Amino acid sequence: MPDDVIIEARNLTKVYRDFWGRQKVRALKALDLEVRRGEIFGLLGPNGSGKTTTIKLILGLLFPTSGQVLCFGRDATDVTKNERIGYLPEESYLYKFLSAEETLDFYGRLFKMSRRVRRQRTADLIDQVGLTRAKKRQLREYSKGMTRRIGLAQALINDPELILLDEPTTGLDPLGTRDMKQMILDLREQGKTVVMCSHRLDDVQDVCDRIAILYEGELKELGRVDSLLKVHDVTEIHVRKLNEKAQQEIRQIIDREHGELVSMGNPTTTLERLFLDIIAESELHPGRRVRGAKDA
Amino acid sequence: MVIETEQIPFHEWILWASLNWLLVVAALAVTGLFLSSLIAVVRHGPARGLELTFRVVGSSFADLFCMSPRRVWALTWLAIKDSLRRRVVIVFVLFLILLLFAGWFLDPGSDHPLRLYISFVLTSTSYLVLLLMLFLSAFSLPADLKSKTLHTVVTKPVRPSEIVLGRMLGFILLGTFLLVLMGAMSYVFVARGLAHTHEVIPSSLKVVQPGDDAAKGDVPLKGKSTSVNNHRHDVALDRKGRGRLEMTQDHFHRVIRRKQGDKTVYEVGQPEGMRIARVPVYGKLRFMDSQRQEKEAGTNVGDEWSYRSYIEGGSLAAGVWSFEGVTPEQFPERLQVEMTLGVFRTWKGDIEQGIAGVLLLRNPKTGLTVEAKIFPAREFSTDVHQIARKLTPETVYYLKREEDSDGLVKKVKYVREEITGHRKSQYDLFDDLTDDGRLEIWLQCLDPNQYLGVAQADMYLRARDASFALNFMKGYFGIWMQMVLVVGFGVMFSTFLSGSVAMIATVGMLIGGFFRAFMIKLAMGETYGGGPVESFIRLLTQDNVVSDLPAGLRTTVAQTTDAVLQKGLLVVAKLLPPLREFDCAGYVAYGFNISADWIAEQGLTTLSFAVALFVVGYFFLKTREVAK
Repeated sequence: MPDDVIIEARNLTKVYRDFWGRQKVRALKALDLEVRRGEIFGLLGPNGSGKTTTIKLILGLLFPTSGQVLCFGRDATDVTKNERIGYLPEESYLYKFLSAEETLDFYGRLFKMSRRVRRQRTADLIDQVGLTRAKKRQLREYSKGMTRRIGLAQALINDPELILLDEPTTGLDPLGTRDMKQMILDLREQGKTVVMCSHRLDDVQDVCDRIAILYEGELKELGRVDSLLKVHDVTEIHVRKLNEKAQQEIRQIIDREHGELVSMGNPTTTLERLFLDIIAESELHPGRRVRGAKDA
Repeated sequence: MVIETEQIPFHEWILWASLNWLLVVAALAVTGLFLSSLIAVVRHGPARGLELTFRVVGSSFADLFCMSPRRVWALTWLAIKDSLRRRVVIVFVLFLILLLFAGWFLDPGSDHPLRLYISFVLTSTSYLVLLLMLFLSAFSLPADLKSKTLHTVVTKPVRPSEIVLGRMLGFILLGTFLLVLMGAMSYVFVARGLAHTHEVIPSSLKVVQPGDDAAKGDVPLKGKSTSVNNHRHDVALDRKGRGRLEMTQDHFHRVIRRKQGDKTVYEVGQPEGMRIARVPVYGKLRFMDSQRQEKEAGTNVGDEWSYRSYIEGGSLAAGVWSFEGVTPEQFPERLQVEMTLGVFRTWKGDIEQGIAGVLLLRNPKTGLTVEAKIFPAREFSTDVHQIARKLTPETVYYLKREEDSDGLVKKVKYVREEITGHRKSQYDLFDDLTDDGRLEIWLQCLDPNQYLGVAQADMYLRARDASFALNFMKGYFGIWMQMVLVVGFGVMFSTFLSGSVAMIATVGMLIGGFFRAFMIKLAMGETYGGGPVESFIRLLTQDNVVSDLPAGLRTTVAQTTDAVLQKGLLVVAKLLPPLREFDCAGYVAYGFNISADWIAEQGLTTLSFAVALFVVGYFFLKTREVAK
């Protein structure tokens, strides 16, 4: 296994069986996969495609029916590999009777961290995920978004090299989603490796370097996001303040060169972009209705 | 109180117990390895199955021997915190309420109030704590698996062994804390519940010696006290006005007469002699027949309860106890012999009188034997005999040991030899009758055709009493050990069963544990009526349990099947915890000190079970898919 390969799955297969050993479902079929150091790797696919199963196999929460998965060159069932891993499950499975501070302190104690480092790290992470004012409250009182954020904090408590995120933006509002995506990008900047699975295509597109597309347990596509998404026979030009005459001339050039004009006009922004702009402007000028009243 | 189980000294017990434990562990390990390999081979094929098995076994050494105390403590803390969240303190509150209202149904005026109080507090504590621990330990891990909170834990560098140990320690620590609280409350409850005093009724005081009326106040007086807690005492005062309210309901009070101006007042103290912890020194029992020849047991009088063996009256038959450690340091003032004897009458005789017995003291080295005491043996009560250090016996002789062999069997006989030459008028208990702390006490029955029934634990020498408070704590230690086992089984089962099933399985083990001794007896063929199949046939055919079944194919098949079943039953019984042996409430209630040997033996037994349960629980958790 090369040094820059963090996760290596070979012929990884998982079959779920019932109590009597009869096959219920074949969740993963002979998956071959490599995740390299420093990249954001996305597992993409519809519900039941085997994304979460793959992550659970990497973590040793499930045992493969056949094949093998190595993480940092060690078998997935070797718990010592977890020293270098952080995991955010699909739902934040945390002890609701603990406060945010107690939660991070508890998980910190499971690593080789001195009390001083643990306390410092707890305070930093609580600050980083924006829960400083709620750090003494029990998690049962938290909203879904807050729970997600403390979940991410616990995944980062050991300053891991590899972070596994299962549906990281589930339950988050657009602001939370933006923050989460920014955090994931920041992790890459810090040299961390991130593996995330999601069925939200925009999330994956925004942050991932490479993706694997799974369908019914089978690997359908694997590669860099930019090259996978690139449409080779289409050229896209975005121009600001172009008058009608110039637009006409461009059309003529396209005709002369035997090109096919697909569309030309004013592009629309995304709803997410619009929402984020409104929130940002509202924070700058509270009380003002910023736009759109006329159209309503 | 009858103590049927002989207390084996720790140094004798440990060798046998260690060997037994190692054998069971080895058998379990081999069986476990075989079964898990078999399952793995069936599920994954021979090559991968065996590879997986060896991988698990290989990594288990690191898991079991490289645990991190820091992580174990973190998980212990989590288990405690989780339990507190489940409001376990309510159990303590419930116990307090029980104590508050206990006065309504506990009668301090009963014949043995201490037994009543001790039984109540120990029983209620054990029920509450064991039930609580049963629920906590059986439901905790399954709840974590169901809520998937365990996923977040096992994806940290936590070994399955640390999870199992952390749970066990957490619940044990919590249970210990509750037991300490409940024990302290119980002690105060017992002390306060039994505390009382009386007043001496001055008008009831009568001069013992007639004709000394004029000197009243300076002569012995006898009288009555007032009634408190449904009892009153006889009062006995000496010439100096000191005395006591005589023994009633297992206690007495000291009383002292004082002058306050013109008035005479009697100050009566708190009850004494009730909260005691006798330290019995047990001897080894052997029997002599009517020819003073040694034999294995006494006479069988046909009693179905074969605990006691009987000594024939009006003959030389005797029960002989050999004691060790009979030293002036251990028994500084006198030798107190306490006996609880069985009586078997072949004719009614004088019921009031009791059956006459005699105690002989014999020096095992010189054979010097003195007649120490003739007494009427009473049934259903403890006879207490004080033997002074200086003895002036009427009858003294030698009992010389003689060995005879017919080539195959060695026979030991004791022959009486009269003292020739100088006979001392007074004998010293330690100088003349003991040899390096060894002393023999012979018990003979004097009434012809009557029998005295004895067992080894029926006679003991009472050494200096131990602390009752400490004994009370030891009683709680018995509950603590039961609690540890409940936690061990609960956590172990919860690693692979759902909460409710784990709870039922734990209860099953506990019930089995209470009947362990009987199961072993059944498996060893020591019960009447044969094994399960033979007994079933007897039920159908209404055959007597002691008569042999008619020889034939049916009997052969039944007995062969029983032999196989009994072997299986023996294995199962050996795996069950000896819970009944941990129950020492009777010792505390009846005022017997729980010996250090008992503590060490039962403590080690508990520890060995806990270790085994931890290892089994670890393997189950290690080999299960947490996220399935």
